Amino acid sequence: MTIAAQPGGSYIDADLSADLAAAALDMARMFHKGATLWVISPQWEPHAHHVAVEFVHPVIMGKRALPSVALVDPDPVAQARVASRPGDLLIAVASANEPAVIDAMRRAQAWGVLTLWIGSGPRPQAGAANHILWIDSDDPMVPATGTFVLLYHLLWELTHVCFEHPGLMKPDADECTDEVCVTCSDEGRLGEVIVEPVDATSSALVRTAAGEEWVDVTMLGDVAPNDLVLVHAGTAITRLDDEHSREERTPDIGQELRR
Amino acid sequence: MTESENTGFLYPFIESEETDATSLLDDLAASARGKAAESARLQNESLDEYRDALDTAGSEMAERFRRGGRLYTFGNGGSSTDAATLASLFSRPARGRPVAAWSLAADNAVVTALGNDVGFDLIFKRQIIAHARERDIAIGLSTSGNSEDLMTAFTEAKQRGLLTIGFSGHDGGRMATADDIDFCFTVHSQSIHRIQESHAMLGYRLWSVAQERMARPLNGAHTI
Repeated sequence: MTIAAQPGGSYIDADLSADLAAAALDMARMFHKGATLWVISPQWEPHAHHVAVEFVHPVIMGKRALPSVALVDPDPVAQARVASRPGDLLIAVASANEPAVIDAMRRAQAWGVLTLWIGSGPRPQAGAANHILWIDSDDPMVPATGTFVLLYHLLWELTHVCFEHPGLMKPDADECTDEVCVTCSDEGRLGEVIVEPVDATSSALVRTAAGEEWVDVTMLGDVAPNDLVLVHAGTAITRLDDEHSREERTPDIGQELRR
Repeated sequence: MTESENTGFLYPFIESEETDATSLLDDLAASARGKAAESARLQNESLDEYRDALDTAGSEMAERFRRGGRLYTFGNGGSSTDAATLASLFSRPARGRPVAAWSLAADNAVVTALGNDVGFDLIFKRQIIAHARERDIAIGLSTSGNSEDLMTAFTEAKQRGLLTIGFSGHDGGRMATADDIDFCFTVHSQSIHRIQESHAMLGYRLWSVAQERMARPLNGAHTI
């Protein structure tokens, strides 16, 4: 007998529906401020195209066309890096172990881009994206049964509902009262090197969520374009080398942040 | 639950002074659950309605794959992406046996060349003429069932002896009554989103049946 797939709708419980609602409100607010939505799905390219066409050319007459582009080059990180600007949105449709998506989601913080991650199977680490919209199923066929399609359809539908509430398109008043708010303070911000220093005593041009700035990197020694660094008061204080060292060094970075 | 009941809250008075998002978030979450329930209901209803036809169509697909047949999928817009997902399911399944399948909307050079030179209505038909052999399979997806570029492709495919399968929506449109389509699976809904979600599930069932049939020894086929 053939194995029946579980309907996608059966996964949308109280938690996931609340996650979708919060994600949709964030997306509507970002679009309201002029965001472009970038979409990556290295394993399932058609999903990236479906999300993009959904927002660009809505199936319901009269709904706003919103800027949305599928990034399907062999290196989606390089493509998203050059395409995105602070205040943009990035959706990934991918499993939690997809290396390019892990990297893009991490770097999006330095790009000033709000991230959403749609997938199934084992979950990404908590905090790996701003919104994690997850199907907790180990069925490898989930991506082909319409379940992801349902998730991004709902995201589109709810986002457009939010536009009917113009008073709520501004961020919540209490949004920036966190002890360490990376966009409002200079406690330690993730940056990505754009231009390396010309000599040992020069600054590097670094991109953070706040824009581009020349940063003192003498504490780190050699830095190269695309290196991820932590910027504090105009100085790069830590380098995040790669995925493995990031995991090892995360506690240290936490210490730096709390000084 | 009907679509209009789920979405009734969408069009209240527009309150520009609204500042507390709590009630909106509650409404959005409730709406998501309502739409998800409708999606699941429609998928199950469609699978039930077409259980026998999906079995037959999936078996015929398996028989053609055994003879070296290839699958071509096609659609417009979101349905073109669902057609591509379906093609990938056959050609790169997470489990089971891969078979030759591709989406006729996938190659921008081919689609724009045909659209520019011979007209958009022929973008799929001309590819069928170029690629198709008698043992192949054509699957087209359209939520209206009326897309001209699909209809011309189905006619060409049928003339060339292909197995033709259509996924439609609403009342089925032209696809529901076309002689050129061997199996037409119409998803009875007014929502393009819900129709597409059911198309994916029906396509998945076709793949499951075809996989199961291909896994059996040929001489056991008559016992199906």
